Amino acid sequence: MYQQQQQKQSILTEEDLVSTILSDLKRVVREYATAATESTCPDIRQLFTKLMDSTLTMQGQLFQAMQQANMYNTSSPVLRQELDKQMKQYQQIKQKTAQFLQQTLGQQQNQTMYTPNMQQQSGQQQGSQNYYN
Amino acid sequence: MIQPMTGKELEYIADSMSNEDLLMKQCAAVVATGTTPALRNLCSQMLQTHQQHFDSLMHAISHHQQMAPTQPQQ
Repeated sequence: MYQQQQQKQSILTEEDLVSTILSDLKRVVREYATAATESTCPDIRQLFTKLMDSTLTMQGQLFQAMQQANMYNTSSPVLRQELDKQMKQYQQIKQKTAQFLQQTLGQQQNQTMYTPNMQQQSGQQQGSQNYYN
Repeated sequence: MIQPMTGKELEYIADSMSNEDLLMKQCAAVVATGTTPALRNLCSQMLQTHQQHFDSLMHAISHHQQMAPTQPQQ
């Protein structure tokens, strides 16, 4: 029973341990996203955003490693008919929305959003210091 | 332009430090007891990243300490 002193034993299996880490990483990504959206200070928002991105990267790496170790079953592939059905439905929705936008905005459409001025402003928010390193 | 930290921000930072702390321990458990080399290596790398995250959060608090008011604000 105690033949291997060096290899410590865990109550949980390796698969249980990494599954717990994977689900915690998923939760932490969501929490960083929430924290970023509710931050007032731009520097703190940037910190949360970077931590979210880094955590998301780790979650992806762990998922891939688990899949290679046969510890993760992905859901079965969706049927072609189902893709066709959704494609058709959302093409209709897209068309209706295009009509709606045409009626609502008319000639104004080109002037409302996405003016070059606003794009320049949003670029200025970056800079200052960042904590993450 | 750096602004004083809000109570909400501090709560998120503190919660995040708890999360990172727990993840460090969980990764250490895999490194110590795991049997799949790829997973042990990955968890060893992740352990370091969680330590860095923890330090970044800690640094954010210390960075805001000086400009924090000492009296309650309205």
